[in-house]
Amino acid sequence: MQLKALTRTISVAAFLGATALTTSVAAQEPKTVTGGFDVGPGGFQGNFNPLAATGGFTWLNVYFEPLVNYTADLTAIEGALATEYSINADKTEYTFKLAKETWHDGKPFTSKDVKFTVELAKNGETGTVFAARLNAVSSVETPDERTAIIKLSRPDAGFLATLTKLMILPEHALAGTTPKELATSTWWATKPVGTGPFKFKQYVTDQYVELVADDDYRLGRPKVDRVINRYFKNTAAAVAALRAGEIQFTYVEPDDVSAFRDNKGFHVIEGQSFVVNYLGFNQQVPLWKDVRVRQAVMHAIDRQAIIDSLYGGAATVANCGYVAKQLVPEGLSPYQYDPAKAKSLLAEAGWDKINGNKPITWLTYYNTPQAANVMAAVQAMLAQVGINVVPRVVDTPTYNGIIYAGNPDFNQFPLVYAGLQNGPDPSGLNIGLNAAQKPPAGANFLRIDMPELTKAFDTALAETNPQQLNARYQDVCKAMNTNLPWATMWVANRYGVASAKLKDFVWVPAPAGGPYNAHPEKWSIEK
Amino acid sequence: MLSYILRRLGTGLLMLVALSMLVFILLRVAPGDPIDAYVNPNVAMSQAEMEALRTRLGLDQPLPIQYLAWLQAAVTGDLGYSIQRNGVRVLPLVLERIGPTILLMAAGLAIAIVTGIAAGILSAVRRNSPTDIGFSVVAFFGISSPAFLTAILGLYLFSVVLRWAPSGGMLTPGAPFSAGDLLSHLILPACLLSIGHAALIMRYMRASLLEVLNQDYVRTARAKGVKESWVIMKHAVRNALLPVVTLIGSTVGIAVGGAIFIESVFNWPGMGLLLINAVDTRDYPVIMGATLIIGACVIVVNLLTDIAYAAVDPRIQVA
Amino acid sequence: MSAAVAILGSSKGPTARALGRFVTNRLALAGLVVLIAILIAILTYPLWWAYTPNQIDLRALNKGPSAGHWFGTDGVGRDVFARLMQGGRVSLLVAVISVGISLVIGFLVGAISAFSGRLADGAIMRLVDLAMTLPPVILLLVLASIVGTGIVPTIAVISLLSWPVLSRMVRARLLELRERDFVVAARGMGAGMRHLLFRHGLPNCIDILVVYATLQIANAILLEAGLSFLGLGIAPPEASWGNMLNAARSTSVLEQYVWQWMFPGVALVITVLAINFVGDGLRDAFDPRSDLQ
Repeated sequence: MQLKALTRTISVAAFLGATALTTSVAAQEPKTVTGGFDVGPGGFQGNFNPLAATGGFTWLNVYFEPLVNYTADLTAIEGALATEYSINADKTEYTFKLAKETWHDGKPFTSKDVKFTVELAKNGETGTVFAARLNAVSSVETPDERTAIIKLSRPDAGFLATLTKLMILPEHALAGTTPKELATSTWWATKPVGTGPFKFKQYVTDQYVELVADDDYRLGRPKVDRVINRYFKNTAAAVAALRAGEIQFTYVEPDDVSAFRDNKGFHVIEGQSFVVNYLGFNQQVPLWKDVRVRQAVMHAIDRQAIIDSLYGGAATVANCGYVAKQLVPEGLSPYQYDPAKAKSLLAEAGWDKINGNKPITWLTYYNTPQAANVMAAVQAMLAQVGINVVPRVVDTPTYNGIIYAGNPDFNQFPLVYAGLQNGPDPSGLNIGLNAAQKPPAGANFLRIDMPELTKAFDTALAETNPQQLNARYQDVCKAMNTNLPWATMWVANRYGVASAKLKDFVWVPAPAGGPYNAHPEKWSIEK
Repeated sequence: MLSYILRRLGTGLLMLVALSMLVFILLRVAPGDPIDAYVNPNVAMSQAEMEALRTRLGLDQPLPIQYLAWLQAAVTGDLGYSIQRNGVRVLPLVLERIGPTILLMAAGLAIAIVTGIAAGILSAVRRNSPTDIGFSVVAFFGISSPAFLTAILGLYLFSVVLRWAPSGGMLTPGAPFSAGDLLSHLILPACLLSIGHAALIMRYMRASLLEVLNQDYVRTARAKGVKESWVIMKHAVRNALLPVVTLIGSTVGIAVGGAIFIESVFNWPGMGLLLINAVDTRDYPVIMGATLIIGACVIVVNLLTDIAYAAVDPRIQVA
Repeated sequence: MSAAVAILGSSKGPTARALGRFVTNRLALAGLVVLIAILIAILTYPLWWAYTPNQIDLRALNKGPSAGHWFGTDGVGRDVFARLMQGGRVSLLVAVISVGISLVIGFLVGAISAFSGRLADGAIMRLVDLAMTLPPVILLLVLASIVGTGIVPTIAVISLLSWPVLSRMVRARLLELRERDFVVAARGMGAGMRHLLFRHGLPNCIDILVVYATLQIANAILLEAGLSFLGLGIAPPEASWGNMLNAARSTSVLEQYVWQWMFPGVALVITVLAINFVGDGLRDAFDPRSDLQ
């Protein structure tokens, strides 16, 4: 009896608390869209520096803008801060006509800012991840305030795609800071100034980031007053908040989709991830020198079975870095699931002498339950042929800290489970596989140095004839398939769920969060 | 009394020094160059400047001297810089997290004390009745269930299914501060945090009260015809509370532990979440700074309970 | 208390008397029976259970309980029952070994402190105070961040935490003993520390040790589960009750695949409950006052 009274008291108290909450929200609140924009593999919670961003572009693009951007279906590149652009015949000169826009602090945006940003992004001292990708840039010219001309020393087929990720930064706010200080400046998380439809208001540590509408945005004042990006320790917590009605949008795991599919209150958004998942072989450890060992790994893993069961069929087997039809040539080795062949390949290579049954750390930043299941399945399959891998899951900052360390300890990541963007622009794989892209220059942290592959990439990137481009990338695919710098696994679909209250909301599961023209100024929300 | 307090203060201070030694040693055992903790990542430093800093910080000195230098810096509030968070200083980072944790723990403890003592009294008074057995069973389950499991289930039931309380955080993002908002975020984690504690307090209260009720003076009071409820409230409960007060004081440390799980599940921006994130990213300066501050808090709380106990119980001066 | 037991009790030694009291405690006996059943099950399961804990089956993902898989399967088609049994082995192994270690440390520190001079005693006790200052979970996190994950680090971390309370109880008990005639006599005859510790100290503390060990095992199981839940204890794919419970973080598992977290949760709570019952029973049994009630 007392217990009943007790529970009643508690529930009444809880109810009072809940009503207090709902009334406070209802009291003429500004229109707010709240979401978990940095949840999932495309997000990057806690990073505010676009020069150091390896993900999280969906969110950064709400208050910063690049010159050009992908369309929301990720099929073409269109203007953003540049209203139009033209490219000369030998693909070495890009001319941008700039939009009339003011920075959030009221200062005008000019071509000087473009020059400043490109030069900053080329300067390795800023901790930029663009230095290598902008290698071809020889100069930036600013004939007038509304025109910027970027000159390249050689054609670069991936240049426009790189520019979509380069958020333009305000010269007037940052010129006073040395490039080295910029790398870790608190400016990014306290008072950043951009040109996007929303302006930065505040970051409450580990809780959320709040943006407010930019009243004089050139494409019209945003329809909602605020956009809030809530931080979650994991996708499960974000899904709980979505179901509790506290947020209107989040990335979700494939497992969660079924719970939302039949629910009228939510829309499920499905899209190709454009990310190829792979087991990366660290070339600095002696384990993987023999190509037969790498082939054995491919043969040991039943990729189709994993896709059918753990991905519910929503993934495509990858035999090289690409799965798009126009990029995959005939005659690739399909590396059929064949444990016996894997064993004999290992025996030929002398695996017993190379490593035998000793545990091999398998590092990953994929910390989702689904990834854990996939890794458990792969681990069991590899164990069958005598390769003993032990998964080690860390969060993204730790992962980056380990693989990009100035003096890395290669034994901490002899094998990784990771993903890299293979589209919409196929040149995305270059930074992870080209021998010229070893850190600190690029993202080839596995120190892959395979001349045939490097040459294939260099040829493809220098190709100026659009008709030949696909054939060049087919060569890259072929080289990957033969040399196996990675054991390529699959390209999976990814999902987001948005509340039915959101109107004109655009989100796609783009790799690294895009960016793409999501037009946040058009998002609106019903009461 | 005064000399007792002074003596306790003295040992408290000694403990703090010893704790700092422990933290220092752990900091040195931790992987990585200790100098990384002191270099503000915002400031570009040359190799020569690093060496100069190393000398100034005494990192080229033998360990005991290093310890004294570190202690001096720590006393003046210099706990170094976070490795992972854009060069934020450790001390303010830790300090801003103390408030939310204290709020959560105080609320949880308050609920636990009230429900635990009330249930304990009821159980003892109605010994072996269905009420007593019911409370005891609940208490046993409360002690035997891991905090994180009750936290997850509570979150799911009350936030996702019933929508009575928010699913996490301390305040509604972007909303102006209001006490109601804070309360609505606080009540669920605080209740869940209190479960294990309430169970412990209830069992102690019950046992302690049963013992007191058996003692002579209570029997005398009863024999003198004093009203039963008066006997219980005035004489027995007061005396039975003494050991329970010590229990509460000595379990503050355990409450901090429980709070960590609750903070992790509810994304409550307290010390626990800070510490878990710091451990996840191996941000040693933050780990050590947080540990030092938490340890200091526990020492102070223990000190205060000891003094409070001395004030309540005159016998302590003799002991 | 029945007269028969009281008579039986008074004619035997204290241990036998305690035993007599213990067997009349129904709750404690029930706990013991449950505990023995659980122990037998997890120790012998490979002999009578068809599945192994890490055997994946991609054709049988997330299947509910059935005749083949009593407790269903998990997200990669591993048998939940087999993982539960293996997880129980790991959890109990970690708990028992770490408590064993902390028992040795706790007894030695407490006893040495009690039998040494005032100065050494004071110094040791301040050390114990210090070890008790830090909240266990915090120290656990800090240590785990330095030593990493796995069975051995988890054991090390838990055993380092559990001894201080015990050493205080041992010291308190032995301080009374120190002034008794036979100990004073033994000392006068030049008995060494080893003699004092094991000839006089140990027999007089046996009840404290037994009760403490029992209750502490329950605690250690919970600590291990908490650590593994935070991803700092036993790392998957090695099963432990804590990391199996971690699956409940996902709402889809929580709702749709109830068996994946419910069974480890129930196993954990029942085991800890049973140990707590036994521990409480032992404490009452050793307590001389309980005869008077």
